[in-house]
Amino acid sequence: MRSLILSALAAMGLPLAGQAAEGTRIQVTGEIIDTWCYYSGVMGSPDAVVGSAHHTCALWCSAGGIPVGLLAEDGTVYMVLKVGEDDQTAGGDTTLKLAAHTVEADGMLYERDGLNYLVVSDVVSDLDITNQNHDDYGNVPPFSIPDPNK
Amino acid sequence: MKKLIALLAMMASPLAAQDFSEGSEARSWNLYAEVPAKFEATVVDLLCTFTGDCPADCGAGKRQLGLLRTADDTLILPMKNSQPAFTGAAVELQPFCNQTITVDGLMIDDPELGANNVYLVQTIVPPGGDDKIKANKWTKNWAAEHPEAKGKGPWFRRDPRIKSIIAEEGYLGLGVDVDEAWIAENF
Repeated sequence: MRSLILSALAAMGLPLAGQAAEGTRIQVTGEIIDTWCYYSGVMGSPDAVVGSAHHTCALWCSAGGIPVGLLAEDGTVYMVLKVGEDDQTAGGDTTLKLAAHTVEADGMLYERDGLNYLVVSDVVSDLDITNQNHDDYGNVPPFSIPDPNK
Repeated sequence: MKKLIALLAMMASPLAAQDFSEGSEARSWNLYAEVPAKFEATVVDLLCTFTGDCPADCGAGKRQLGLLRTADDTLILPMKNSQPAFTGAAVELQPFCNQTITVDGLMIDDPELGANNVYLVQTIVPPGGDDKIKANKWTKNWAAEHPEAKGKGPWFRRDPRIKSIIAEEGYLGLGVDVDEAWIAENF
């Protein structure tokens, strides 16, 4: 019965006194993406705002402090809050260098209000850019590569 | 006990259905999943919220921050400030670390894609204040931090870190040789 009441309170979004955030350790593989372009559709379809097609824009957004995410192979997006000892995920160097790279990550998952937050304890491997989709989508957005003829 | 559970469920319904667009003066960005949303919230450090690692300044604008909405205790992720310049919201919200403010902007609501409770902040009303502050300080802060990058064009064309990575990896991230072939074929 207690669990039913707790579930009802949780469904209401009310805080449960004394309950600390409880994470789950996970290992996940996916691409480090620019979550704003992915979620907002401002630059095109989800398939177009990942990979090599979107590499430069992903750099811009990461350097600009937009949250980076890890897009797993099953389509789940994990919002990255820390990578190793680097907690500067709003424009920091570690996430910037990983833009558009596919990584294998080990970390703690925290789920809250429909989003997945990931504290990466270890990037087990950095596979660089594996999604070479620029032949399919071009460079996204088109101005991400300056026109050499202008 | 059944009555108690039913009562709690009834209390949950109005919260779930609450409309935060009322009173919003947010400008449209013509995004397909945008919903205007104005609400009161406390600015929280997300790492602090989940892990208990809580610097007093919420990470000085370098950590991702959250907005804990007063009305329903929902944790909102502010992804974007009001500038159409590839710029996030942490720098705009950090001065209000652990304070309760009122924000106006656009919620992006696309559950099929996983976009739940993600937000673009356009304006901030500080605690006890009446005047709205535009959430557009990012580029000014960047310019102050990068006097060596002063020049024409948008910040992202001049940012030293971005330029360094593109010089090494190319615009497509696959090496400068791949870039050269691509540009020759497509421009």
